Amino acid sequence: MGGLIESTDQTMFLDPAIRNWVLFPITVIMVLVGVFRHQLTILMTGQPAKPDIKEIRQGKALMRGHTLAQNNPYIPTAAFIERKKYLCQAYEDGTYLKDKTSKEKSPTDLMADPKNMEAMMDGMKKQMMGIIPQTLIMGWIQFFFSGFILIKLPFPLGLRFKQMLQSGIMTPNMDVRWVSSISWYFINLFGLRGVFALLLGGENSADGTRDMTAMSTMGAMGQQPGQPQDFNKQFLGMKDNLSIIYHEWDLENIEQRVLVKYGKQARIFKSTRK
Amino acid sequence: MSSSLKLLGEIRQSSERRPFEVLKLAEPLLNKGSITQAGDEVWLVYEQVFLAAVDEGQIDVAKAVLEILHNRFGEESQRVKRLYGLVSEATGHPEDAKKLYDDMLEKDATNVLANKRLITLLKSQGQYVQAIQELVSYLDTHGNDFEAWLELTHLYLDQHLYSQAAFCIEEVILQQPANHYFHLCYAEISYTMGNLDVALKEYLRVVELSTDNLRGFYGVKLTADRILDITSSRGSGKSKGPSHLKVENAPQKAMLERLSQLATERLLAIYSGSSDAMKKTLEEWLKL
Repeated sequence: MGGLIESTDQTMFLDPAIRNWVLFPITVIMVLVGVFRHQLTILMTGQPAKPDIKEIRQGKALMRGHTLAQNNPYIPTAAFIERKKYLCQAYEDGTYLKDKTSKEKSPTDLMADPKNMEAMMDGMKKQMMGIIPQTLIMGWIQFFFSGFILIKLPFPLGLRFKQMLQSGIMTPNMDVRWVSSISWYFINLFGLRGVFALLLGGENSADGTRDMTAMSTMGAMGQQPGQPQDFNKQFLGMKDNLSIIYHEWDLENIEQRVLVKYGKQARIFKSTRK
Repeated sequence: MSSSLKLLGEIRQSSERRPFEVLKLAEPLLNKGSITQAGDEVWLVYEQVFLAAVDEGQIDVAKAVLEILHNRFGEESQRVKRLYGLVSEATGHPEDAKKLYDDMLEKDATNVLANKRLITLLKSQGQYVQAIQELVSYLDTHGNDFEAWLELTHLYLDQHLYSQAAFCIEEVILQQPANHYFHLCYAEISYTMGNLDVALKEYLRVVELSTDNLRGFYGVKLTADRILDITSSRGSGKSKGPSHLKVENAPQKAMLERLSQLATERLLAIYSGSSDAMKKTLEEWLKL
């Protein structure tokens, strides 16, 4: 009977030297590297690209279409139709496009545009800044600090974590709660976000978790991050949106609403007769 | 001292221009040098004091503050440059200001501050047509600046170009649909243009959004009565009113009468707390 029950509480005594020379140094190093990364990113990030007037016009034209689609009930039908006709025509003709000839460009041509190149390079640089330190630290920890137990986790875990968290030590019976240094690294990765927020202010580049999400989305999207938006496509999409809107003027039954509001009528009648 | 700074901050937040108070608050700060307590906000306070000084005509104070800002931010700062333009305008040298703004726009066509100052300058010189042209080209690029659309509405109204003004105020409403003041503006423009059906509905919207709105109810009463007048006279064959008045989409007679009654009632209620002379004037007007 005794052999079938898992032993629940394995107590081991860890050398205090482990605590002094592994636990604290790893944390300290991670904090320092984080701050260093943050400052370096600030140095490397160039001035955000100053938008050209034609680009602004392009963007705002799209916003106009969006506002019209969103708030169309608040203007009379005639006004709406006038604007819809104008905007749809403009979108189709490409009146608002930054560069009229760009209607025919394919995505690769758009990428060759020098300004977009800069924006993409910037994005990639930032990602490098995130990935490289992470990889370095992980390798360093694996190299120096493997082969021994560092801490005991206060919560139990499934057996599958054993392989990842106890990577250096092959023992079949040891509780998964005893883990090696690499898991301490992961704990720090998530935990130090708060510390960085205190030290560096809200928006800091030392956050490790953001890089992880960036890496996963890169795989999911399968396209270059920071790809320049294709405005022609967006304009045509907006045109389609606008053309299918059925306009209902919000003020059609305003008379009844006002009468109800001031207590002259009990409720609104949905009748075809005004 | 910090309470003055807090007050100044609040005035900045609400975008009010209270030049007299700002100067009164800021004077001791500047003289005693305790303005540095504001930390990084110092520059915002300086800008605010500058604007107040220019408003009040205290050009020396303005120039002194401008010196300080110039020393901090240098020649190339856009915000500081337009302050120079403001000084030129205030001291009666609009040509210098215009030259400065034109320069700024040449170097950087997206400069919103310079663009707006130029338009205001043209307006203050009475060159309305040019101001309208500049504003229209500004709006071609920045179509989502509802304050600019509002300004254009007023410019068109000054020139009595009502249908253009109506278009502009529609743009404003499109971007700010819940603001009853814009609906009121639209209602009044529609009434003036003769679109009585739209005017009535817009006036009703005003009183829906803003309970017991005085101008709104005046508008409702005026419009409802006028439509009743016209439809009854048109119906009976005698065309009384001018033919350009549009009443096709107006509600039926019964509804109009109810609305007119409601308006009368609310107007009397609104004025119930005021003096007898006012009440008498109102009653006489209501009988018309």
